[in-house]
Amino acid sequence: MNIIQGAVHFVANNKLTFEKGPMPIKPYPSAANQVGHKNKLYPQPSMEEILPKLETPAVKVRIADLLSRYPEPQGALLEVLWVIQEVLGWVPRESIRWASKVCDCSPAHAYGVVTFYTMYKQVPTGRYLLQFCRNICCEQKGASGIIAYTEKALKIKTGETTPDGLFTIVQVECLGACGNAPVMLVNDEFATDVEGGKLTMRDGITLTPERVDKILKWCYDRSEKYEEEPVRDALGGTLVGHKGHPGAPGSSAKPQEMDYAPACPVLGLKAVAEKSGVTLTWKNAPEFTHLVVERADGSSWKKVGEPSVKDKEFIDPTGLAGMAYRMIATSGDRVAKPSTEEKAV
Amino acid sequence: MAKTIKVCTDNFGKGAQDIAVYKKLGGYTSISSRLFDLSQFEVIDMVKRSNLRGRGGAGFPTGLKWSFVPRHTGKPVYIVVNADEGEPGTFKDHFLMNEDPHRLIEGLIIAGWALGSRTAYIYVRGEFLPCIESLNKAISQAYVDGLLGENIGGTKFSFDIYVHRGAGAYICGEETALINSLEGKRGEPRLKPPFPAVSGAWKSPTCVNNVETLMALPWIFQNSPEAYAAIGTGCAGGTKVFCVSGDVKRTGVYEVPIGTPMMDLLNSPDYAGGIDGVLKGVIPGGSSCPVLLPEECEKATLDYECMISLNTMFGSGAVMPFNTTRDVVVLLNTLGNFYSHESCGQCTPCREGTGYAKRVINSILRGEGHDGDLELLLSLAEQYNGTTICPLAPALGQPMSAFINKYRSEFDAYIEKNPNHASPRISATHRPGAFW
Repeated sequence: MNIIQGAVHFVANNKLTFEKGPMPIKPYPSAANQVGHKNKLYPQPSMEEILPKLETPAVKVRIADLLSRYPEPQGALLEVLWVIQEVLGWVPRESIRWASKVCDCSPAHAYGVVTFYTMYKQVPTGRYLLQFCRNICCEQKGASGIIAYTEKALKIKTGETTPDGLFTIVQVECLGACGNAPVMLVNDEFATDVEGGKLTMRDGITLTPERVDKILKWCYDRSEKYEEEPVRDALGGTLVGHKGHPGAPGSSAKPQEMDYAPACPVLGLKAVAEKSGVTLTWKNAPEFTHLVVERADGSSWKKVGEPSVKDKEFIDPTGLAGMAYRMIATSGDRVAKPSTEEKAV
Repeated sequence: MAKTIKVCTDNFGKGAQDIAVYKKLGGYTSISSRLFDLSQFEVIDMVKRSNLRGRGGAGFPTGLKWSFVPRHTGKPVYIVVNADEGEPGTFKDHFLMNEDPHRLIEGLIIAGWALGSRTAYIYVRGEFLPCIESLNKAISQAYVDGLLGENIGGTKFSFDIYVHRGAGAYICGEETALINSLEGKRGEPRLKPPFPAVSGAWKSPTCVNNVETLMALPWIFQNSPEAYAAIGTGCAGGTKVFCVSGDVKRTGVYEVPIGTPMMDLLNSPDYAGGIDGVLKGVIPGGSSCPVLLPEECEKATLDYECMISLNTMFGSGAVMPFNTTRDVVVLLNTLGNFYSHESCGQCTPCREGTGYAKRVINSILRGEGHDGDLELLLSLAEQYNGTTICPLAPALGQPMSAFINKYRSEFDAYIEKNPNHASPRISATHRPGAFW
């Protein structure tokens, strides 16, 4: 469809006039547009095609583990979508419907989530997805030059895939490795160099055209070595030993006990001797239900009062400077250890 | 003397990813020796006395934040670790989680004990898969060691930690957007109040803390809160991990006490080792912070008060110096592209306004600027303030007005490249309504 570019003006006699001219907007590759939203025409596999891959025992175990971690199944939606992307390589339309069933939400909600986040691929990409940072630190250090170099080397533009299906170039926002700017991600690995047959990112090593060449060569070598790219766990490995969120499906965990910690003692006790007696001040904790003030009486302690839990100070009219005081707090049925002893000054 | 103190980065390069090494280096002693004898209120009181302030950017006192979390509401309390480190220039959490995941777990157990939490989630941004792998390995080791799970150390306390992988959205670093994302929704910020401390994840009390904040807790417990408070300034205690990127000799992650002069960090051979070229300006706390001129940097110290007095922010600790060969219009252009791309689209001033600013800056950069464009950008920056749910649009507006005000002549030079710059801009072609 041809879109006539120009500007619309509203004039006094209630007529719209159209001023033809170039739209002064330079197309800027947005990460969302590169692998995300422009998928309307991409052939989508049917549910029958993807189900055999998704409903395997291994995936079922993982999904059950994920669902047990959140109080509501919908919490696992992002993680389930990651599992789908790991298994299928991308997130086709029908798999979103499948994820919404697993996570007990509407397909529309799941589709909204997929399109909101930029890392879910709604079209398949090349075997090596090269994500270049183009944000302020990397731009400052010459990211646009590195991207242009890579585009030239692979003879594709940002957002495109090489004809052999090996590489896709995208530009993304800050990757969180600005100390090594400019940086790139090769699939899920940060890469500024190749050392010992591995992609590395060491302190102070930044991308240069030579290092880009090394990284591309590493990818070519790897594609010859392995028929298919080895699958990497999209969720960074499994957790052992947890029982899940209390109350979640498949979880046997019990909720937190209310009184697991010792009762709170009175903190910050201060005793000041004045003409009217000894004034005690302390920090009030929300869990106090009862307070007792005690005064040293020889080697034993004698109760001198029970201030209310809302009180901020307590006055012992018979107190004198030099006398030692302490307080004991109670929280429900738990009695705390006595506070530190304070001598009135 | 104080310079040698390392709170968070002490175990770097020592292989502390393994629990045995971490324990040999003194790890988990705060839990085995002290924590289980303390009441919840005592732990919060210790954190308050340590003067620890949130390291994510806003700098809210951590102890005070914890004291807002209500108890005995009948709902579980969640702790969510904000490891969605997306602020351009910031990469400390990336290093901290890679090098020392057990310190984060230890800090989380302390926070869990203080807040009565049963479950904690570490929300890691999707790009950090190596970090997630390192965290999952460390958490599994902690489960095997009996530090996590049910009835930890023979007490009634039970605690679980899960890693949640984000999927690439800068806005999820905002705490309410992060909570929405954790619940499996689009990462759109929520209106406050209710604050997350009262009604956060799954409408339960939720405490969102930065990685570095929690990693300071083991040190505070092994030493003392007073010792931690003594390191920093009166307004904020302790050390801060700074991420130095840009035009310096040695970029990287450096831990210095709060209150250190900025030029010490940039010039000292122990840290960044000096500027490459002639200093033109420094972005002090991540891309959302207004830029500082060299003469302002000379008197700047790295603490909250001084940064506010210079009309900028302490932020997340990303220090980005740039030299005289860098073009500020190009830098502002990348910021405009970034924020308009990352706007979640809920509030009109941000969704349309950041795109409007981006299109105007783009056209200035292409040599199609007009007189009055800079006033237009400044007025846009002003209109972002207070009109949106979250501070994403002001995060563009503040650096935008600082860049324009402080380097005005360079912007004017770009505008004068347009032969027709004196004619007014046909703003209909850039304005949001016309664009769609």
